[in-house]
Order: sequence, then C-alpha cells, then structure tokens
Amino acid sequence: MNETPYLSRRDFIKFSTHALFGLAGLLGLGGLVRYFSYLPDPGPPTEFDLGDVASYPVGSRSLRLDIPAVIHNREGEIVAYSLICTHLGCTIENDGDEFACPCHGSRFDKNGVVLKGPAQRPLQKLRVNVLEDNTLRLYTDGGRK
Amino acid sequence: MPRYPALIAVIILVFGGMLFAFASVQASATPPIAADTASQATPTFDIARLAQPPTVFPPAQADNGAQTYWGMCMACHGDRGQGLTEEWRNSFVPDQRDCWQSGCHGSDYPENSFEIPTAGAPAIAGSGKLARFSNAFELHSHIQKNMPFFPPGSLTSEEAWSLTAYVLRLNDRQLAGFTLKGINGSAIPVHRKVNLPESEIPGSLILVGVLILTAIGLNLQINRNHAGSIALSVRPNFFHHLHPPSIPAEQSRFRYTLGAGGLAVFLSLILLVTGLLEMYYYVPTPGQAAISVETIVTLVPFGNLVRNLHYWSAQFLVIVMTLHLLRVVLTGAYASPRRFNYLLGLGLLVFILLLNFTGYVLRWDEGIRWALVVGANLLKTIPWIGDGVYQFVIGGSEPGPATLTRFYTWHIFGLTLGASILIIWHAFRVRRDGGIAVPPPSERKEKNRITRFELLGREVLTMVIAGVVVLLFSLIVPAPIEGPISDASAITSDSRAPWFFLWVQQLLKLGDPFLWGVFTPVLVVIVLGLLPYVLPNARSEELGRWLPSGNRIAQALVVLIILVILALTVLGAVSG
Repeated sequence: MNETPYLSRRDFIKFSTHALFGLAGLLGLGGLVRYFSYLPDPGPPTEFDLGDVASYPVGSRSLRLDIPAVIHNREGEIVAYSLICTHLGCTIENDGDEFACPCHGSRFDKNGVVLKGPAQRPLQKLRVNVLEDNTLRLYTDGGRK
Repeated sequence: MPRYPALIAVIILVFGGMLFAFASVQASATPPIAADTASQATPTFDIARLAQPPTVFPPAQADNGAQTYWGMCMACHGDRGQGLTEEWRNSFVPDQRDCWQSGCHGSDYPENSFEIPTAGAPAIAGSGKLARFSNAFELHSHIQKNMPFFPPGSLTSEEAWSLTAYVLRLNDRQLAGFTLKGINGSAIPVHRKVNLPESEIPGSLILVGVLILTAIGLNLQINRNHAGSIALSVRPNFFHHLHPPSIPAEQSRFRYTLGAGGLAVFLSLILLVTGLLEMYYYVPTPGQAAISVETIVTLVPFGNLVRNLHYWSAQFLVIVMTLHLLRVVLTGAYASPRRFNYLLGLGLLVFILLLNFTGYVLRWDEGIRWALVVGANLLKTIPWIGDGVYQFVIGGSEPGPATLTRFYTWHIFGLTLGASILIIWHAFRVRRDGGIAVPPPSERKEKNRITRFELLGREVLTMVIAGVVVLLFSLIVPAPIEGPISDASAITSDSRAPWFFLWVQQLLKLGDPFLWGVFTPVLVVIVLGLLPYVLPNARSEELGRWLPSGNRIAQALVVLIILVILALTVLGAVSG
C-alpha cells in the first residue's frame, strides 16, 4: 500500500459513509424527540367558578375539595388557599382552625402559615376574582398574589 | 301661546308610544317559549344576521359547514350557536317569529312542516355547552343521527362532518387546513384546543435522502473491498463477531438467498422499535384504544409515520417470510441437518401470523369487529377443548375489556418473547448447521470466499435500501384505521378478515367451520413441517442452486399450497 499524506479515496468514502450514517441517526433521534413532545393529557382545569359572592359571608370558611382549596372571607376580603401540602403534594385536612397533612404531619394555620414541619413553605394563596355578575372565579395557576 | 299645540302633540305622541310599546311587549310575551331571561334584548329585526354566509374559496371544511348550518340549523340554533333564545327569535321578521307555534314553513302546517320542540333548541356554542361530547367523532355521530329536526338522519356523513367542523369553529376550535373524518374525528377533542403537528413529510424525505447517500457510500466501500484490498487488519466489532470470519461466496448470493432471512430480521427490528414507541401513547381499553390510535396518527408528531412503519413492516414481514419459506423449499435447503431449523422457521411464521392478528385486533375499531368475533368463535368449534381455549383467549363469554387486555399482553409480551427466542435460535442454528445450504467443499465449483467485513457491509447496505423502501411506503400509504366501535355502526362495518387470513375466510364459506377454519390451516402447517421427514430430499451436491431434482415432489406440493392460498386470498379480496 502506498503511503500518502492525503486522504485516500477509500478513507474519504469510509468517512463520508460513517458521517451520513451518523446524520441519519441524528435525524431519527430528532424525530424521536418530536414524537415524545406530544402531551396526551391536557392537565387539570385551572379555573373554577365558585358561585355567588353572597354564599361566602364574612368570617366564613368553605372547603372545596375538588380544587382542592379553602375559601375564606376575611372581614370582607375573600382569600383562597390551596389545600395541597407544600411538602409533597398530599391534600391536607381541616382540623379545627388549622390544617393538618395526613401524610407526614405538617400543620398550617388558617392563613396558610406553617406551624409544624416537614413543610417549609406556606400554603399557596390562590387568586380569586369577582366577575361582573357578582360570582367568584378562582385560578389555580395564578400563583401568589 | 303658539307653543301649546306642539306640547300637546308631544304628550300625545309619548303616551301613544308608551301604549303601543306596552301592547307590543304584551304581544311578544305571549308565546310560552323557553326564553333566555338573561338576554331579553330589545326586539330587533336584523336582516344582516339572517344573511347567507359569504362563500369562501377554497372552502375549508367549516366553510362548507357554515352554508349547511345557515340553511338547516341556524333558524333554531342561532347565528352564533346561542340556541333559540328570545333575542335570536326577535331578529326574525315579525310574522315569522312564532313559527314554533304554527310549525315551520307553516302555511301547510302540519302536513310538511314540523313543530319546534317545546323545550326550544339548545345552545351549541359557549362555555359549558356540548358537555356530553368529548370528541368530534361523538359530536358527528349525534348530528348525523338526530339532526336536523326535519327529519333526523337526513344528512350525509360528509355534511355531518362539515357541520361538526363548523360547530367546533363556533366554539373557537379552529382546525385550519384539517379535514375531519371518521378516521381522525375521535382524536379531536371538543373541549380543548389541540395543536396539529407539522407535516412529517419534509423531515422524512431528508432522512430518506441521507439514507440513499449512505447506501451509495456503502456500495462504493463494498466494491472497493471486493477488488481485493480487504482490510483484514481492521479490528472486528460486535456485529462482525456475529458472523463467521469468512463464508463461501455462493452462500451470500442475493439471487440465491433473496436476502429474505436478513430482511425478516430487519423488519422485526423495525417492528420492535416502532412497537415500543406506540406503547407510549396506545391505551389498551375498549373505550380508548381506537381513540388513542387515531391520536397517534393525527396529533403525535411523526406518530403517523411510526404507526405506518409498524403496520407496513408487519405486512411485509409476512410476505418476506413466505418468500423465505419458498426459497428454502425450492432450493431443497431444508433437508437434514437443517430440518430442525426449518421447523423453527415454520414456528416463527405461525408466531408472526398470531402477532399480526393480535396487533390487528388492538386497533379495536369498527374494522376489526367481525374478524375478532369470527376468529374467536372458530376456537369454540374445536372438539372437546374448544370452550376452554375460547375462555383462555377471550377471557369471558364474549369479547370485551378482558379480551383487549389479553390480546395486548400476548402481543407485546407473550408472542413477542416467543418470536424473539425463536429468531435468535433460528439464527444460531443457521450457523450451527454450517451456514446457508451449499454443497460440501469437495463438490463446490466456486472456491471464492468473502470476509465478514464484506458480508456485514452487504447486510447493512440491504438494510438501508429496505429501510428507504419501507419509509417511502409508509409515507405514502396510510395504515387502516376506522372509527371507534359503536352500536350504531354494527351493520355497516367491514366484515372481511385481515388480508393474511382472507384465505381462511374463503375456506370457511365451504362448510363446516372446524374442518375448514381450524383443521385445514393446521393441516397445512403440519404438511409443511413433515416435508423433510417424509418426502425425498435434495442430494447434498445439488444444494446451493434453485430447483434441485431430488425434492421435486416437495417443491410441487409447496408451490401448489401457496398458489391455492394466493388464489383464495385474491378471491377474498375481490369478492369483498
């Protein structure tokens, strides 16, 4: 075989073929990423109609376990807290004036403040709007106000 | 002084107007019609709202639906899908406003007219409406079955689909450039927006192009090697090690082997990969199976390609395996010492047919309905054990959720595991039995050998070419899918077996179901299996070429069997 400083024809073909093979593989991989990008589940609803403002009188605390959230009329101001434990996502339970998590024993007061760990963060405050027709709408994706 | 008459006139006008207004309110309040109290708008006649929607060219499906809606549905359901509200009723010319009392097209009431239901016509657009329909297919079924009111069921399926598209548009679900059909409607939800994926064609064509260039490169490399400069110093990799260091050149002739065994392995690999991918989105429950398949095809990026690759590879596999069987028989290669491997191969064919049938049933759509019922009932006809076998396969007294779970489990696990073991065993036995059948060394005319480097190169080249063919085929020809199973469509659904069992369906027309539907197919497999043990075999020096004289009887028999099956299949396909 002749020693040559240049890329031989055979080496060139071999290199190109390998490169093309790799490119085909990358294209396939790209398709695979696209394939898995589809989200079959639309996710849970983020808006809930709470009904008439009048059904939440001053001082009342109402549980809506389907959201799950507690709606509290604090001297005319309506606030809502998520009942999802900020530790690992169990639904917390009403315990007198407080909330207790059945999973790992975290406790929160009625304003969502942590009384006892392992939870670190207070309960998520949910946005509540009064609509034109005097009904309430709650948004679970609005974050803290 | 001159002002007084004017003042009196104004007062009279005002009072008169009030009286008139009061009277007309009284009049319009009389029909006891379901009224939307929230929208007690001023009675206004608005010709613009009643006008025919402008024609659009080229019309989207929803544009066609808009025309039909205007002609047949709008009078009751409203121009915005608000339903028969007071506000909508008042947009009509006054003397047409109470046609729900007189009957519509009311002069000849009740002969050719109809009464509007006393409950009024429901709203079909807006939040909270259409709550009982989860997808476009259900909406379409309802429209076609129950609408219009005069008389229900008079719409064609196509009209009902364009109306479905229009109702979705009224609900702000635009499907630009997408045509709703029976085969994709259940993938389109009514209550949430979906993103239709971009076309998979450009990406796939780029891949095809790259693969073709790769094939050219591989071909150049192989030719280079063939010229004698084979790099024996190259370190063999894992795939090289799956092959012997070198094999006689005549064992690797494409015109001798047809490459059928290798192609079967390649197609099986495609099936394994695409099948795994489908499992990420397929939902094996009776209510969701067909919907999830339609979702893969319609909404998942490249999902249509993945499913088509799976489907077409499976169909090609049956053909390639039949060719492989034919090759082995027509070259006499199945004789001892390869006769056990021949049986393994036959077993594989049976496994693949069962995999194809279970995979076909997993669609769980209108198309599989009767094939499943017939196939299952055939099991019942087996003497003594029939009921037990039926129970084992179907998991109940009739096909239901348990059937789907069992077929799914068999398809993705039981049969796949069995077939995988058989493939590996079959490939191992090929090598163990001395490779592809050729005469013993002393009888060989050609002494050339090829190295495993060249052999692997040829194999990869064949795979790349086959890959391009399967890819292009899958891009062009869609795999069959139909709407989800519903009672309404039981009569119209396809009653044909999948193509690879059409011959059995034709046999079944001859009479006794056990004799023709179970015994005969099993007999065919047994006869094929007995060939090397019962009939004369090809002599060893005749091996390595087509049509040796030693096993002429077996060749004739197998060709006859395959021709009969082929003829029955064609007959079944055209008789429909």
